[in-house]
Amino acid sequence: MELVTLVDVFVVGMPVLYGLLVTAYAIAFFTSAPRIERWKTPLLLVTVLLHISYIGIRTAAFDHPPITTIYEIMTMLAACIAIAYAYIELRTKASLSVEGPIGAAGQAGNTGMFILGLAFIFQTVSSLYIKDLTEIAAVLRSRLLGLHVSAALLGYTAISLSAVFGFLYLMLYHEIKSSRFGVIYSRLPNLEMLERMSSRAEVFGFIMLSVAIVVGLVWLPRAFEEFSYWDPKLVGTISIWVLYAISLAAKRALGWQGRRMMILSLIAFGIVFLSMTVINVYLSGFHTFY
Amino acid sequence: MSMNFLCIGISHTSAPLEIREKVWMSADEIKEALLRLKEKYFDEAMLVSTCNRTELYGITPDTQVDDAVFKQFLIDFKKVNGDVRPEHFYGRFSGGAVNHLFKVAAGIDSLVIGDIQILNQVKEAFTLAGQVGMLGPILNRLMQATMHVGKRVRTETAICEGAVSVSYAAVELATKIFADLSKKSVLLIGAGETGELTLKHLLAKGIGMVKIANRTRSHAEALMAKLEVNGEVVDYDVLNEAIRTADIVITSVNSPSYVVQPSHVQKVMKQRSNNPLFIIDIGVPRNVDPSCNRVENVFVYDMDSLSAVVDKNIERRKAEIPKVTTIIREEMVEFFKWHNSLQVGPTIHELTEALEAIRQQEVEKNINRFKPEDRELVELVTKRIVNKILHQPITNLRNGTNNGARESETVNRIKALRELFGIGMQKPS
Repeated sequence: MELVTLVDVFVVGMPVLYGLLVTAYAIAFFTSAPRIERWKTPLLLVTVLLHISYIGIRTAAFDHPPITTIYEIMTMLAACIAIAYAYIELRTKASLSVEGPIGAAGQAGNTGMFILGLAFIFQTVSSLYIKDLTEIAAVLRSRLLGLHVSAALLGYTAISLSAVFGFLYLMLYHEIKSSRFGVIYSRLPNLEMLERMSSRAEVFGFIMLSVAIVVGLVWLPRAFEEFSYWDPKLVGTISIWVLYAISLAAKRALGWQGRRMMILSLIAFGIVFLSMTVINVYLSGFHTFY
Repeated sequence: MSMNFLCIGISHTSAPLEIREKVWMSADEIKEALLRLKEKYFDEAMLVSTCNRTELYGITPDTQVDDAVFKQFLIDFKKVNGDVRPEHFYGRFSGGAVNHLFKVAAGIDSLVIGDIQILNQVKEAFTLAGQVGMLGPILNRLMQATMHVGKRVRTETAICEGAVSVSYAAVELATKIFADLSKKSVLLIGAGETGELTLKHLLAKGIGMVKIANRTRSHAEALMAKLEVNGEVVDYDVLNEAIRTADIVITSVNSPSYVVQPSHVQKVMKQRSNNPLFIIDIGVPRNVDPSCNRVENVFVYDMDSLSAVVDKNIERRKAEIPKVTTIIREEMVEFFKWHNSLQVGPTIHELTEALEAIRQQEVEKNINRFKPEDRELVELVTKRIVNKILHQPITNLRNGTNNGARESETVNRIKALRELFGIGMQKPS
């Protein structure tokens, strides 16, 4: 039973760790204090490693990977976001010396406060509601489920990042338009780069969500006898997918870009977030198995 | 601190430009002046001269040298007697001179706070001094410390951040809108100094493509030739077409009415599928209708808003001065720590010598009172006594510098020791 105790420590510890991490990145963002600038990245790597250990230990303790409830998924999502961000930061840091202090690429590392903030939120919600499940429904022991969840996780991570970059784009856009320059202006990369990162993440996320939906549609009728295509979760998911499809089409066909695209991306993410939380928690759908 | 380090200088804080210009020295002049000073006054010296300041730093063997001598020396050297007077110069001594040098290198003594170039100019000045053999151990160390100050200030503070000229502010904005300027194009409409300067900055940032339009086509062609770039001269009548393909538009036209209207811009934006457009309007009166800024993905900046950016940047740089001062203080402590450690060795040496002299004197005086077979023993015993007396104070003094005990404490000890034992003072005859 020692593993379970360890899991409990992690359940409490992970949000605390993410809270510290976000605080460190926030202090670095606003004050660029050299000591914190030096420590934030090692802290990020430690957090990521501990998070991976947590997932591993949890899997061992309860004999299933944490992908069967929305709260298990949320900690996976937080981990994915943190890993994706660590990748972005480490990759762009290398180019810092080349591009100089105004070099935009180097400043991608400054978006940490916002991206990790999202990971913090997901992890906190997960820790608050996660349950120790040792027995899981037989229906969830399926290879297709693994594929479905992996694709959905990658997709959600990507659109979360896309939304953060979109949000930062809008803030910077506003500052440049109104010539009121604050911390955002001096610490963020340029508009074009934010937009590019946002739309790339969006396209990737869209593809991954498409895979998740297709796999889900194949798997659901097999797994559930009472399956209905009018399930609120399914309707929600499909409408999100349609929204993303429209926005990507608008970009191609109508030449939409910049502010309008970013707003669309934010709205879509808002709906995703709502569907993950509200629909899952308050409307009983197929994603609730217990 | 007993370092005879001094600084004599002239800068924007002490004299107007026409005076400063007269004292400006070329590299050759600097070398010549240093050589002359070497003969007369200095062990080590360095001279920095830019359009904003000319400063002489040096270490004299003599504590009594008056800075008036050096002020006059600089005036005489440049043969500007009468125009430039000693009152135009300022003098700084020992710690004050080090502080001043650090402030200069950090860019907080500059006309434009956070001036980046000055550090290179100071470095060059040290190099020149080295070429004529005027960089001794102290200035060498001081050079390292100065460069360290400059580096720390640039990495740890924002003193150099933010554009402080209108043209550079425009370019900085461009880098906040576009990721890669080498894939972007600029269109300059009209002529004028600021427009040209902005274009030059953009070229320095590697802008991909340049187009110039002017009501007088030959003017545009002349400017293109002057800038030595491969660009395109555009007919003034087809401006809209040119704007459509440009990412950055600089307008600098002498015109009573707006040259660029919102309706134009709206139309152009549709044609260019909403690609961001950055319009820099440096015409006075304005060339671009300010309501163009309301069009999505269009960013319009005029002289007023650019000046506001510059003012804000200057304010922000000023706010960084306390941080810079802290760095300077830290580096001064480091430097003087090193300098003081130079003094510990000699003091110990001199103290040992002084006591040994007393011992020898007394032994010699009284040696005849001892039996010949005991004399060697007397020598041995007295030596031991002196060594034992010295052992504790020397150990404490050495530990004081090694353990990084309070610097001022070590300095005080050395000072007390020198005074009490009369070390380094003229011996009473």
